[in-house]
Amino acid sequence: MTDEQKFNSIRKGLLEFLVLTIISARTVYVADILKRLSATDFATQEGTLYPLLSKLRREGLVNYEWQESDSGPPRKYYGLTPAGRKHLAELDEYWVGITKTVTDLRS
Amino acid sequence: MRKVITVSLNGNAFQLDDDAYAALSAYLDEAARALGANPDRAEIVSDLEQAIADKCAGYLNPHKSVITLAEIEKVIEQMGAVDADPAPGAQTSAGSSAGSQPGAAASPRRLYQISEGAIVSGICNGYAAYSGIDVTWIRAIFVLLIFVTGGAALVAYLVLMFIIPYANTSEEHAAAHGLPFNARMLVENAKRHYSKITSSPEWQKEKDSMRNEWRRTRAQWRLERRRARQEWRHYRRYGRPFGGYSAPTPGAAAAATMPPPPAPYLVHVITGSMVALLGLIGAVIGISMCLAIFSLITSGGILGWQWPHDLPLWLGLVAVFIVWNAIAWPLRAARHSIYWHTGGYGAPWHSAFDVIVTVLVLIVVASWSLHHIPQIRDFIHDLPRLWQHDTWSNTTARVIVRACLTVKDLALWLTRQV
Repeated sequence: MTDEQKFNSIRKGLLEFLVLTIISARTVYVADILKRLSATDFATQEGTLYPLLSKLRREGLVNYEWQESDSGPPRKYYGLTPAGRKHLAELDEYWVGITKTVTDLRS
Repeated sequence: MRKVITVSLNGNAFQLDDDAYAALSAYLDEAARALGANPDRAEIVSDLEQAIADKCAGYLNPHKSVITLAEIEKVIEQMGAVDADPAPGAQTSAGSSAGSQPGAAASPRRLYQISEGAIVSGICNGYAAYSGIDVTWIRAIFVLLIFVTGGAALVAYLVLMFIIPYANTSEEHAAAHGLPFNARMLVENAKRHYSKITSSPEWQKEKDSMRNEWRRTRAQWRLERRRARQEWRHYRRYGRPFGGYSAPTPGAAAAATMPPPPAPYLVHVITGSMVALLGLIGAVIGISMCLAIFSLITSGGILGWQWPHDLPLWLGLVAVFIVWNAIAWPLRAARHSIYWHTGGYGAPWHSAFDVIVTVLVLIVVASWSLHHIPQIRDFIHDLPRLWQHDTWSNTTARVIVRACLTVKDLALWLTRQV
């Protein structure tokens, strides 16, 4: 396994966390999420994002509602469900724990 | 002028060039396939279609109403391959996700016969795909092997035709090349296929009809082979030929199914030694043919007789091969007829004896050359070094290269001797 592949699996594992974080701020539609991620190391594509969102919705973490847009057809705006907020809080806690462990081990 | 296909992407009508249409439908088919049993498959596909529609709309304006292949390719590139298995969680994703990243892990590589662009059946083609070596080299080496092994490579080819499966589906084609099978690959395939057709219709039509002809012939061969295989299986299982097939005349069929009764012991001994003798003579003739080819290549003649300068050398090689076959064939036929008349062809001890004689001759020749020809000795000593921990194909390639070098050394050495 090359470094690139290792980073890929880390990226992939964290993508769900990041997507939930982006959605938690305000309801967004897919292009927003892609734009927010595009500048980062986690740049992703529709081909990955749509299946991920559908999985999160099936797990009851996110939901969407249709909203009219001024340019084109109605769009799906995604938002967190209460269960999603709880899950994100757990992930946050876990993340803080991980970073703390890394920092502690370094010093 | 180009043909335009109108499609509906999640309820939005778009006009695509026919090759753009092929690429897009390949992408969407692959997306649907990758999503497999996902309960939200229909919804995800329509989301994807909507996203594609939004992107396509960006390429249109009042003066341009058709999406081209280049544009659809850009769109597909932006969409990315559909990832059927989004990471369920940080822990479990590490293992499963690495493989689905494009080009991340080595994809399984399998040996297939590839009939597209094949000359006979696609063995060389398939091996070229498998090993990553250009098919022309493989073919050249194979032709060389036919001469060097006295036709045994040809037999090997026929055997491989039976054994190695054909690459029929796109997945199998991908596995034959060891490529990851994803949407990108399908798109490339579709594109290549379509651009080929559109490049020159008349020529293509001509070529297609010829190819169809050849394909039909090959299909017939395949059918024959399948039947032969069936018959062989039947023969092995029940000890008699398959009834439904190959019975041109009832008399001949009956004669063929009933080999003559086993001969007495003395006849066995005599015919046995005849077989051994014939086998030996055959081996000697085979070796002389190899020597004749060597001397023809290295000194341009055989036993002091010069090959005419105005004729190409390969003609000489073919001539030697034909002469060898003409001499060896009656011997072989005699041997086989002896087998037949002493209890049916394929009586185990006869074939075993034949193999033993061949192996003995090979051992004698090999040990002689090992002691008397330094180049062969070096080659044998080099073999373990070539056999490192590596893929089978790489090792084979190295051995073949080393063998070619040895042959070259031998040729130089022989010319110096002469």
